[in-house]
Amino acid sequence: MKTLKILLIEDDAIEVMKFNRTISKLKLNHEIIGANNVEDDLKLLAQKTNLPNIILLDLNMPKINGIEFLSILKNDDTLKYIPTIILTTSNNQKDLIACYEIGIAGYVLKPLKYEDYVSKIEKLLAYWSINELKNTNERNRTY
Amino acid sequence: MKGIVLTEFLELVETKFGLEVVDKIISASKLESEGIYTSVGTYEFSEMLQLLQHLSAHTKISIDALLLVYAEHFFSVIESSYPGLLAIYKDPIEMISSIENHIHVEVRKIYPDAELPTFEVIEKTENSLIMIYKSSRAMHHFGLGLMNKTFEYFNSTAVIDLEKIKEDGTEVKFSITKNK
Amino acid sequence: MNQQLEGILLRALKREKGARKAAEKILEGKSTEFYDLTQKLKKSNFKLEKLIAEKSSELRGVFENIVDAYVVMDLRGNVIKMNEPATSLLGYDNNQENINLFTLVDVSEVEKVKKSYSKLINNGSITNFQVKINTKSNDQKLVHINASIIYDENHKAIAAQGIVRDITEIKNLELQKEKLLLKLGKSNDELQEYAHIVSHDLKSPLSSIYALVSWLKEDNIGKFDKNSLQNFGHIESTLEKMELLISDVLLYSSVSLDESKKLNVDLNIVIEDLKKIIFIPSHIKINVKNKLPVVFGERTKFQQLFQNLIGNAIKFNNKKNGLIEIDVSEKKSFYQFSIKDNGVGIEKKYHDKIFKIFHSLNDHKDSTGIGLSIVKKIIDLYNGNIWIESDYGKGTTFHFTLKK
Repeated sequence: MKTLKILLIEDDAIEVMKFNRTISKLKLNHEIIGANNVEDDLKLLAQKTNLPNIILLDLNMPKINGIEFLSILKNDDTLKYIPTIILTTSNNQKDLIACYEIGIAGYVLKPLKYEDYVSKIEKLLAYWSINELKNTNERNRTY
Repeated sequence: MKGIVLTEFLELVETKFGLEVVDKIISASKLESEGIYTSVGTYEFSEMLQLLQHLSAHTKISIDALLLVYAEHFFSVIESSYPGLLAIYKDPIEMISSIENHIHVEVRKIYPDAELPTFEVIEKTENSLIMIYKSSRAMHHFGLGLMNKTFEYFNSTAVIDLEKIKEDGTEVKFSITKNK
Repeated sequence: MNQQLEGILLRALKREKGARKAAEKILEGKSTEFYDLTQKLKKSNFKLEKLIAEKSSELRGVFENIVDAYVVMDLRGNVIKMNEPATSLLGYDNNQENINLFTLVDVSEVEKVKKSYSKLINNGSITNFQVKINTKSNDQKLVHINASIIYDENHKAIAAQGIVRDITEIKNLELQKEKLLLKLGKSNDELQEYAHIVSHDLKSPLSSIYALVSWLKEDNIGKFDKNSLQNFGHIESTLEKMELLISDVLLYSSVSLDESKKLNVDLNIVIEDLKKIIFIPSHIKINVKNKLPVVFGERTKFQQLFQNLIGNAIKFNNKKNGLIEIDVSEKKSFYQFSIKDNGVGIEKKYHDKIFKIFHSLNDHKDSTGIGLSIVKKIIDLYNGNIWIESDYGKGTTFHFTLKK
């Protein structure tokens, strides 16, 4: 199993804690990057030097709407190859359809129970760690 | 039978054979009308038949031949009394073929209760005509005479064949071919 | 010989006299006939004239009393005749001024009117023609016209007649209604959106609390006593109930009719499908007593409706052999359904309350009291009624109607 570099875009501090704790609880070696702040996350991506393998994106964030964020990613010639999975509590069909239209690699609902959450994250990361992914940092090396 | 047929007939008999013969055939016939005819009246056909038979007996001329002559006379009556009827036609075939549809219609305007024969057109070309005559009166030679006169009126001639479909002459086929 | 000739001549003369008299008599008869005929003709002419006079006066009555504006014009559009309502609608009076159709209609409409006028002349009539006109006082009005051609006795078109109705107000109201509906639709959508956001915002902290409680337990294994652990359990089940409540409120708020999704739905298939979705314990049997009808509407709504009612019947069954019976009877303008169970029953005093939102009689773990409110809302959408019959302790029958 590959080790993934995961960018978690999430404003809520407890949600970030939850994710980190889940990774360590599952004893996974994935690297988690991200600034716990959407604006900084955008800056990080813009540098294109330390790009993640996958992005987990929350939809309902106070500063920037997740769908807007997704559009920025998908309009960028480099970033659009990074699989982006929505991780949200919103099961609004309109949001779901909008996301798939723009282009997402998955839409996962955050369950209420922590155990259920752990189980979902485990499966999600297991899936992506067996997937072949485009090496987005390659471009920097060839020049 | 319309009175005009009888009055014109007696007129012709008088002209051709004299008043004496008129008197004779009337006296010899049993006539309900006693031989008193007016053109606007209506009479039994049997009276015409009796007069014809007695004239035929007296003159030794066949009834058909008498009718033929009478028809020729009758045509001149039409010609002088109803010139408008003939004026609209330019061709004898046209005129004969429209007996049913036009001439008889006009006749009925003057004599609404006239009992007219039917002439059914079977075949018609520019120069020929086949018609079926039907009438209980069996006066086909009257028709033939009128047709002859019609051709004469338009300064032409024709061969007209008669073929009796019924022995008693109540249904007769006329085959008319105009001479060129 | 002379005597003989004399006889012939005398007889001929007698015949001639007789013929003359007969002719005179016939002619006399004819003139009497003519006289009678003339009299008869005069009589029937008189009758016809009377009839025409009556009809004309009837027509004049119609013309004068008709409520709508009535206008007759020649084939070039010049007004020949107009009634009182036409004068008051247009402001013009054809007795005092020349009025032409093409100067009456708004400039922007002239081409359209030309086309329709020639269509009227060719086809003999037009209906439901709408056009903007300018009245004498320069008011613009929208009118609705039904017109037909008047023919003379030779079937030649001579004039056009039309009934003109002022629909300016109606059209304005229609436009207003459309605008309002649009606005309503928009605010409905906004509400829907709002409900989703609120639901998300409420659910997020719940899952955070749940996670925090889990960590407290995880990080302190063996340090809490039995009582505290039980309390943690209570926190968790309360959180679960709250989450369910939020989900149900969201569900309730999204029950609205979507006309575009309406189609013929075979309820037999809906029930068959539901039997596969709902968990039915082995001691409970579901019987459909009669063939269910095909109804017109949204499939998901009917499914929600039956799912909630059947679900309740299962949930609140305490008998060893549970029985749920579904039946229908066809009425003139609606179908009446019944879902009967042999469960716990409902006390009389609650019969009206149970359809109110958040009113759950039971402290059932997965019951928020919204299910029946959703049922009621769906039935309301289809102009139906719902009521219950229940023998407390023995069972409940839900009756409801759906309009055909």
